[in-house]
This record gives sequence, structure tokens and C-alpha cells, in this order.
Amino acid sequence: MTEATHFGKEGAFRLAGDLFRAREHSTEVEARPISDPKPRPTSFNPPAPKRYYLYLMAPAIAILAFISLYPFFWLIVLSLQDVDIGGGEWVGFKNYARLLQDPRFKDGWILLLQYSAMCLGLQLTIGMILAVIVNNSKYEKFLVTALLMPMMMAPAVAGLLWLFLYNGTFGWYHWIFQSIGLLDSASILATPGTALYGIVLVDVWQWTPLITLIALAGLKRVPRDQLEANMVDGASPMRNFFAITLPNLYPVLLIAVLLRFMDNFRFIDHILVLTGGGPGSATKILPVYLFEVAFKFFKLGRGAAIALTLLIVTIVLGMILVRVFDKPKSGRT
Amino acid sequence: MSVRVPRRCGTHGVTTIWKGPVMATITIKNVWKYYGDTAAVKHLDITCPDGSFVSILGPSGCGKSSTMRMLAGLEHISSGDIFFDDLRINDLAPKDRDVAMVFENYALYPHKSVFENIANPLRLRKTEEKAIKERVEAAARLLEIDHLLDRRPHELSGGQKQRVAIGRAIVRQPKLFLFDEPIAHLDAKLRAHMRGEIKHLQRELGTTMIYVTHDQLEALSMADYIAVMHDGELQQWGTPSEIFNHPVNAWVAGFVGEPAMNFLTCDVIGEGDSVSLRHRNFDIPLLPQQVRQLNGGAAAGRARMGVRPDALDIALERPGGPSITGEIFVNELLGGDMLVEVALADTRVRVKTTPEFTGKPGQTCHLTVNRDKWHVFDTTDGHAYF
Ligand SMILES: Nc1ncnc2c1ncn2[C@@H]1O[C@H](COP(=O)(O)OP(=O)(O)OP(=O)(O)O)[C@@H](O)[C@H]1O
Ligand SMILES: [Mg+2]
Repeated sequence: MTEATHFGKEGAFRLAGDLFRAREHSTEVEARPISDPKPRPTSFNPPAPKRYYLYLMAPAIAILAFISLYPFFWLIVLSLQDVDIGGGEWVGFKNYARLLQDPRFKDGWILLLQYSAMCLGLQLTIGMILAVIVNNSKYEKFLVTALLMPMMMAPAVAGLLWLFLYNGTFGWYHWIFQSIGLLDSASILATPGTALYGIVLVDVWQWTPLITLIALAGLKRVPRDQLEANMVDGASPMRNFFAITLPNLYPVLLIAVLLRFMDNFRFIDHILVLTGGGPGSATKILPVYLFEVAFKFFKLGRGAAIALTLLIVTIVLGMILVRVFDKPKSGRT
Repeated sequence: MSVRVPRRCGTHGVTTIWKGPVMATITIKNVWKYYGDTAAVKHLDITCPDGSFVSILGPSGCGKSSTMRMLAGLEHISSGDIFFDDLRINDLAPKDRDVAMVFENYALYPHKSVFENIANPLRLRKTEEKAIKERVEAAARLLEIDHLLDRRPHELSGGQKQRVAIGRAIVRQPKLFLFDEPIAHLDAKLRAHMRGEIKHLQRELGTTMIYVTHDQLEALSMADYIAVMHDGELQQWGTPSEIFNHPVNAWVAGFVGEPAMNFLTCDVIGEGDSVSLRHRNFDIPLLPQQVRQLNGGAAAGRARMGVRPDALDIALERPGGPSITGEIFVNELLGGDMLVEVALADTRVRVKTTPEFTGKPGQTCHLTVNRDKWHVFDTTDGHAYF
């Protein structure tokens, strides 16, 4: 990093010289008898010196460090301060200690996990079912196009759209819910008991298609011969799905689940538009609370502390997911 | 590799755990298979008797696999009917047809061990654990893959995969075995061994078997009946000796037999009782009953004479009877036999003889035809007169 950021004229020349030598080195290896006109595969070359690779990657590492590592460390530093408009005051771990006593922090976590679990469960189930229906149907192309539409909408716009649909006086969905007896006159978002479901529904509406698309791509590469062999062995279509199709879908489903679960931890646009965390704190999942603390009350230090815990949990959960899903004995014939 | 002679008493382990034979007469009635507009199988009519070993023989792309897949229920039957005994199975799901199939490309389950691969059909039928273990192990012993049961398919060679696929088929007793080129990937010695084992197994079980191959030696050596297919059409149905000795047309005659039959286009000369085949290198009369079989056919005066390399005798001196005169082109020693290629005016013929034959390339030689074993085919549609 230092090399990359600090090389002056001299450093640049040294770098160029090294690169040049590395080239020389590689042409030397490529020298071959005239009788062998075909260039050998490059993998036969001995590896270039390590330094050479480092030079090649240096610019990318520098940029990455600047845009991602620097803010990260700044976030850690921030979380140890009590920051106000004027400036910061070093407080050590006080921010974290306060979080442990903060009931809204705990509730935020519980709500976030509930929200995320509901979204993932519904999206996976519905997404898979849709994928199976769409796959090889006569109208596949049309259906895929139609499915893409919700995803193309900005989350905030989707939120606005659903705000109308949920509206207690003229909302169409509200009218449906009411007529099948699920709700009384109050909008789904207006009641603390149902607001979270309202939010989940929007997320499911917008992002189930993503799961469908990913699962559809996965379904296309499920080996047909295995399905057929299992059918002849005596499997019903249902068993065939669980015995052959699903295991073959694990790798792609892992990607889908990872994407969606991280999104749930990050994207709150539609929540801010729909409820802003209310009524009361019924939909104040942790990222919404974080937004409030950091940008409404401007407690940047405390916000940073929340953000860090969120980040750590995201990383740990992500790693666990990869472990669990990657297990099912990958392998190809 | 060591010699693959069965060390244990082959099939007994497998067969004893099965009950009596379950079999079925398979009737394929005027079946067609279209992929889009192209017909892969055309008006196929085959009846496989109860418990018979039927081989479908044909070159690549002639519709063998398509036929098998229709029998297994993996491919829609475009038109026609298939019956297992009296049961029309056109609309039956694969799992209800009670057939066991060995796929051309193995189609093993990569995430399951060899044991579980073989056990799969039993598990799907809710067999009890003890019986599963017994049968899988017996099948594995028979196929000499019992040391591989814990491996996964990607850790096996092609031949081993193929044997696992066979194991999965024979581990239970279906109404019908469908084997689609099951031993094409084995080495020659193991193939010869497996030919014997499969044949023996089928005998023991008495289960009807349809066995696809493009290897005529396999078909001839194993099958009770052979269906020769070409371009989606059934060319001939018959026992191996019928197919070999009395091919119904030039195509079957040329496809079956190794080394392949020699064909010579000749003029048909003469009328009444004395008809002969004339060529620039010979003029040989037909036998009396063959004249009757020709029955005034080949009216245009031309016919294709077909004779297998082993129905020809080669000598350096001109023999007494009618003979073909040619020039030795090349000698090939094939183990216990010698194959001599002889150049005639417009073509070459191959003759099987003994290694003691002393002719050298370039020498003039004389071929005697065993006229009981030659064939005459029509020049236009290729059908056999005899
Ligand atoms: N799914 C398919 N779609 C279109 N055409 C197909 C399909 N399957 C097979 N065919 C065509 O049908 C014909 C017969 O195919 P089939 O697989 O039955 O041949 P085969 O006799 O089994 O050949 P091989 O010995 O190479 O396995 C071929 O010309 C092939 O191209
Ligand atoms: Mg085939």
C-alpha cells in the first residue's frame, strides 16, 4: 500500500524496470525449438516472481483500501467517540455499553430477525414454486419478462406504490384484505400487530422474482439424465424434485439466500417510505433504528456502534450460511 | 490388469434372493417417434416373447435409444402402441412401468455413494434395510465393484461407472430390462466377461431383456432375437443365425459380420435353368435352387453378389471349378487367421484364409466361391433374392 501510494518518479521507474525484467524473463522461458511451432500453454511457464504480481495488483489494492478499508476503520474509531455537530469526544466503549441496556436495540434485532426470516422463507418458497411453474412452460419468455417488473422498480417507488395500495380509505389491497376478513377498517400499516407483515409483503412482492430467476437458471442445469434415471428407478415427480432437483439447486439457492438476507439487513428504503419504523416501534428493525439514531438524533458515535454490530452479525451469518449450504456433497459426473 | 474371470460363483448370490421369474411379452405396434419434423423411429413393429433376450442392433443415430426411451416412458410415443403383455403402457408414468434401464451415459447420482446409487430403486420401493444390503452387495460382487461401494461416481473410471449403472438395474427384478449400450466403455477383456455375465444373468432371472448395441458381435453372441435397425426403420427381425446367414437385404448383410461382406456388381446372364453371374473377373453359374429363388428377378440383367470373406477360398493355382481371378493386394495376419485383400478389375474383395497361405502381394490368385453361402441382392432396392 505504501509503495503504491507513495511512489514518486523514481518509484515509477523502478516499477517499470521490474515489469520489463519480468517480461524478459517470460520470453526466455517461451524460447522453443524451431521444430515446435506451437506455443506451449502458458501454464508451463514457471511462476513469475511474487513481487511482479504485487506490482500488478497495487493500484487495485490501493483503491480498494481507500474506498472500503478507510471508512471501515473510521467507523470503528467513530464508534468509540461521542460525536456531535461540533466534534467528537473520546468515550471508549461507552457507546457499546449503552447499547446493551437499550431496549430499542434489542427489539430492533428481534424485529430484524423476524422480518428477515419471514422474507426469506416466503421468497424462497414462492420463488421456487414460481420457478418450477415457469420452467419449460409455453409462456416462459413472457412470464420471465413479467416477473422482472417489480425488481426494476426503485425500492422507494415500490414503497410509495404500496402505500397507495395499503391506504385505509382507497387502497385496493386494503379493500381485498378487508373483504376477506383479515383486517378491519384500519390499514395494515396502521396497526402495530400487522405493520411488519405489510412490510414483509412488499419485500416479498419486489424480490421474489429475483429468487425465481436464480432458481430458474439453476433448474435449467439440473442434469436431465439423473431425473430420468430416478424416474425409471421408481420415483414420483415429487420425490424426484426433492432427491435430484433440490440438491442440484443448492449452490444457486445459496447465492440467492445470501443476496436476499444481506439486502434485508441493508435496504430500508421501502420501510422508511411506508411506516418510518412505526406505528410505535412496530417496524423499527435495527437498520431503521440505526438510521434514526445516526441521522435523526445525530448520535453518530452510537450509530457507528450499531452499524458495527450489524456488520459483524451479517458477516458471521453469511459465513454460517455458506458452510451449511456448501456441505451437500458437491460433485459432477 | 488381472484376468477378469469370475472368482465366485457369479449370479447365484443375486438370484437366490429373487423370487420366481417376472416377465412380460413386449409388443411394439407401429410405433413412430418424431422430433419436430424428423422421424427418428418409423413404423416399428417388434414382439419380444416372454423371457427372451432381444438385441436392437444398428449404427449410431438409427433410433435405438429413442426406442428404449419410449419403452421406459421417458419419451412421448408419437404414434402407435406399446404393450407389456395385455397392458397398453403408452400413458403410464415411468415409475409405474416396472422397467429397469441402464443408460448410455450411466446417469449416476453424483451426490450419492456407489452403494446408494445401486440401492436407489430398492429405497424407492421401501425395501427393508437388510434386503437392500444383501442385494446391493450381491450385485456389486457380481459386477466386481464390491470394493468401490463407498466411493462417489466422480471417483470411478468409465467402465466402473457403467458397471454401477448395471448394478442399479439388476438389483431389483423388473418386468423388463432395458440395456442401452451397457458395456460399450469397458475394455475388450472385461467386455467379453460382462457379455457372458449379462447373458447368464438374463437366463437365470428369465426376465425379458432388450439390449441395445451397435456392436454386431455383442448382438450375435448374446441375443435370442436381433432387431436390426437403420435410419429409424426395422430392417430385419430374426435369430442371430437368421440375421447372419439369411440377411433380408444388402444393408443388413453389409452391417452384420466382421470382416464385412464383399459386394460385387455383376451381370445376370442366361435363362431357363442355367443362369450365371458374370463379372470381368469371373463367370459363375447359380445353383439350381438359386435360379428358382431368383425367379426371373434382376430383370435389368444386373445384380449385386455378396459373399463373406470366409465363404471364399484362395489358391495360387487355378482350381477345377469356376473361380475368380485377381491379384493379391495385401495380406493381414489377424491372430489365427489371415485376411487377404484381392484386387479385381473394379473393386477389392477380402478373403479369410489360414496363416499358412504363401501368396505374396502382386501375385495372381484364384478365388473359389462357396455357392451355398453366397447371396444375390437387387441392385435397386437391395432386397435379397437368396
Ligand atoms: N431430443 C432429441 N431432439 C431431436 N432429435 C433427436 C433427439 N434425440 C434423438 N434425436 C435424433 O433422433 C435420431 C435417433 O437418435 P437415437 O438417440 O435414438 O440414436 P441411437 O440409435 O441411440 O444412436 P447411438 O448409437 O449414437 O446412441 C438421431 O438422428 C438423433 O439426432
Ligand atoms: Mg443411443
